[in-house]
Amino acid sequence: MKYLLITLSLMLSATTAYAANIDITGTVQSRCIVNTDTAGMYGNPNAYTLTTVPASAGQLPIVRVDVSLANAYNAKISYPTSFSSSPSLGDTVAWTGAATVVQTSTSDMSGYQAASSLSGAMRTYALTVAGTTWFSVASVATYGGGQQKPFPGGSYKAVVLAECIAQ
Amino acid sequence: MTSKVLGMNAVGGMDVTGVIYQYTAVKDKDDNFVVTVGNEDLDGNYLWKDTEDWSGKYGMKIRKLIPLAFLPIAKFGKGKIATTGTGSVEDANVIYMYRFDACFDPQSDPSCPGYVKPIPVVPKIIIYDALEDDNVKDATEETDKELIEEKEESNEDEEREEDEMQLQMALASSTNALTIANEATQGSIVKAMNTATNINNYYVAKIVGGAYKETTSLFGGDIVDNKQVFKDLTQDKLHNKMLEEQYK
Repeated sequence: MKYLLITLSLMLSATTAYAANIDITGTVQSRCIVNTDTAGMYGNPNAYTLTTVPASAGQLPIVRVDVSLANAYNAKISYPTSFSSSPSLGDTVAWTGAATVVQTSTSDMSGYQAASSLSGAMRTYALTVAGTTWFSVASVATYGGGQQKPFPGGSYKAVVLAECIAQ
Repeated sequence: MTSKVLGMNAVGGMDVTGVIYQYTAVKDKDDNFVVTVGNEDLDGNYLWKDTEDWSGKYGMKIRKLIPLAFLPIAKFGKGKIATTGTGSVEDANVIYMYRFDACFDPQSDPSCPGYVKPIPVVPKIIIYDALEDDNVKDATEETDKELIEEKEESNEDEEREEDEMQLQMALASSTNALTIANEATQGSIVKAMNTATNINNYYVAKIVGGAYKETTSLFGGDIVDNKQVFKDLTQDKLHNKMLEEQYK
């Protein structure tokens, strides 16, 4: 008798169709965080030069990159090649700069600078160790296309780009 | 750990939650160089330490956060940065993070749980009585001659009273001794009583007889004063007067 009931049940199931959509959710926490440690400031040692070098009354901008997973991210640091805001400029501006590892949270990161690669204004660092790395960016802008023309008076702003990109 | 090390008052109820240290390792890449940052405990062993091995690495600036599990500040001893190998440490800086429990000692604040209102200790006050001070007594002692005499007379009276007291005490002692002796010899007392009873018969006996009249009589002349005695008494009076004169 029991066996029959089970068979009947199967037969009823076979004659009814069910469908369900089940959600799958997930959250990915960032394992690489880019923070501004120190804002930069241009010094104006002469009429045609703006520089972040402290010796010229400038301030080097410092970027902090935290990674909690080793060998997963590259840090890409670019010095500026144009002003984001400035007075109207009628002549060309020559841009130079450099990104440098200035501080790390472990000695194992001391080889980052030597292992980095440069492509134009952007330097790429392979973040092979979990921890924190501080990068400074030097930026020098010279006005006049080699003619040493004075910058027009006004406020100038430039942007350092720091990215954390998965390998 | 001292205030000098922490840069603040090191007190009970303070726990160190972490340390941020930074320094610049100056070395050649190929040199071996190891840097250890830490704190000793009170026995000279490391309470915590963190070691960076810079051997075969570029020297550069390092900043590191070391979390500590709420270590009581009382456990902290001397802090130090120790190096081995070839190289040096420059611009070292160590920052201690802490939390402070203001009610570590409940008696530190009436608002703390477990606070017990203290019972004030009443200080023992010694009252200075100038009248009992020997120096004051000496300083205020009378210098007036009449007062000195009165004092001497008073002292003589006191000595006399003291002698009488001692005499009374001696008599009392004798009485007591006799009483004790009498009590100790009950048989003797009974015997004495019996003797007195027997003698009373003689006391109550009446002697039969008349009056005894004066039989002596003086005949003629006056009774003359004794001049010698009078003379002596006169001289004594004069003498006393002379004595009193010197004190006037």
